[in-house]
Amino acid sequence: MLEVQGLGKSFALPRKRKRSAAERPDPREQGRSFHAVSDVSFTVEAGAILGLLGPNGAGKTTLMRMLSTAIKPTHGTARFDGVDIVAAPQEVRRKIGFLSGTTGLYGRLTAREMITYYGELHGLAREVVGARVEQLAARLKMGSFLDRRNDALSTGMKQKVSIARTLVHDPQVLIFDEPTTGLDVAAAQTVLELIARCREEGKTVLFSTHHMHEVARLCSRVVILAEGALCFAGTVEEMRAQGGSAALDEAFLRLVGEREVSEGAA
Amino acid sequence: MIWTIYRKELREVLRDRRTLIFMIVLPVVLIPLLLNLTTSLVSSAVEKARTETLSYALYHPERLPGLGEALTADAGFEEVTGVDEAEIAAAIEDERIKLALVVDAPVEAGVGPNVTVNLYYNGASATSKVKGRTEELVTAVSDRLRDERLTALRLDTAEQRDSLLRPVKLEVHNTADMREVIGEQAGGFLPYIFIIFCYLGALYPAIDLAAGEKERGTLETLLLAPIPRVKLVMGKFLVVFSAGVTSAILSIGGLGAWLYSEGQEVGGALGEIIKSVGPLDLVLIALMLIPMAAMFSALLLSISIYAKSFKEAQSYSAPLNTVVILPAVLAMLPGIELDWTWAMVPITNISLAIKELIKGTMDYSMLVAILGSSVAIAGVCLVFCTKWFQRESVLFRG
Repeated sequence: MLEVQGLGKSFALPRKRKRSAAERPDPREQGRSFHAVSDVSFTVEAGAILGLLGPNGAGKTTLMRMLSTAIKPTHGTARFDGVDIVAAPQEVRRKIGFLSGTTGLYGRLTAREMITYYGELHGLAREVVGARVEQLAARLKMGSFLDRRNDALSTGMKQKVSIARTLVHDPQVLIFDEPTTGLDVAAAQTVLELIARCREEGKTVLFSTHHMHEVARLCSRVVILAEGALCFAGTVEEMRAQGGSAALDEAFLRLVGEREVSEGAA
Repeated sequence: MIWTIYRKELREVLRDRRTLIFMIVLPVVLIPLLLNLTTSLVSSAVEKARTETLSYALYHPERLPGLGEALTADAGFEEVTGVDEAEIAAAIEDERIKLALVVDAPVEAGVGPNVTVNLYYNGASATSKVKGRTEELVTAVSDRLRDERLTALRLDTAEQRDSLLRPVKLEVHNTADMREVIGEQAGGFLPYIFIIFCYLGALYPAIDLAAGEKERGTLETLLLAPIPRVKLVMGKFLVVFSAGVTSAILSIGGLGAWLYSEGQEVGGALGEIIKSVGPLDLVLIALMLIPMAAMFSALLLSISIYAKSFKEAQSYSAPLNTVVILPAVLAMLPGIELDWTWAMVPITNISLAIKELIKGTMDYSMLVAILGSSVAIAGVCLVFCTKWFQRESVLFRG
């Protein structure tokens, strides 16, 4: 169960940036600060998959980073099963697994060393980590390359190592930031299967994406961000209804566009 | 937990060939090589200047009987004819001759004529022995003439001659031993080398461990491990620090190995100094480099974590090279001696202290002060580094 309450993040802007005449001023800029995300609230039930959508620059990554405790919110907070991300970030980190499309590997470590390292960082005892690595390797069919250096692995193999790294401490909540971006079809498939499996195991999943077919296939709920603010939260069906289209791409564009139009009018 | 991080980072560093070359191969191979090269270059340059045949042109030899004969008799000199007296400078310039001797008209002075011999040569080269060798030859001619005249005056014994020629004598007793004299010249160069190696040893691991994590996209997941970021920095710092210390110690080890093997074969005063640098001096030199390694590691790690990529980290650390090299070079300048003022200048003080250790004239109370202040500065750098590592604007620079 994840409850997000009034979450927001502002960054200090560098002094006086020249803006070209064509550039539209971003409504999120206020004086010397930039409100990347402001006042976002929603809840996700345990065992649900939440899709986080939004155009580039909408604040998805910032929101994900706040939820994963990489950065501290400027205001508001969120709780994973009652554990607060601001008050107890270390405890939250033990509960979550994080993976993004740009996550890399330590090239000079072997797959086994890499996964073991993260297990140890999460405070698992050595024997526990060893057993866990074997278990994950069997599940992800990594046996053939477990002791090869990450540098020498194919993209698909690397993706499996990343997944094993994410799961090594058996997290209850998984946060995926555009996990399929830049992957080929097979590697993306591995990730999507993982997400589906997490749901079967009753884990809570939060994932951001630009691919509507992934949303249609996996998500029970959707949250849409535009210019740092929440512009839709509900089920996939509600998204279709409010967006006025059975095609999710179409519905998404309308939901995001609607907001821009109404703002222009105000 | 720091240990877990340390072990993993060290394992990665040790698997990186580039780091290994800078950390281990360069100091171990390059230091003895450099030392061999410099000592053999210096001694061969001196040897060449001493033995090469000097071509000369001589004008008006009839004014000083014996000079032309002495030159002809000396195998080290070779006469060149056909150079006009007016073009002496040009002939020396285009190396037709090494020197020219012009004998002035004798001046009658009672006992015998006074003769002035003018020597023209190019004295720009530091190793030139033209003046020395010519002087020796002309002095011999002069001495022979002098002795003839003294004999004619019936001054036969050495005492009689001495009382006439040198009634007052100044005898110089230099209390500086040779180690101090040559240490002053060579002692500035070695700390410079040690400091550079210490810096280079820390450079690549520092870039790899921080900017490298950003570039590979591993930093974000690392930051999400349930461990305080201070421990993360400490683990990384200790690896970079180990690399810097290893390089420094290996370069001193390289010096030590050279001193106790090939260095023993170097003769003369230089050989004397080499023999007088003991193991304790080497240990103290190593001790001085430890806080320096800590300083470099903390600074390099701070720069590296700010950078977004390897490339950025390299260009950001370039100005630090100057900040490191300049104070190290200062200690090589003549006239800069270790005193309480210089003892307060970071890096330069360590460089000067190493020089004093090589000279064997270290003031140990100053050594303690330099060590203390360096440790304090290293501590400040480390605190800065850990604070810096916790800033979101540094870790997630957009």
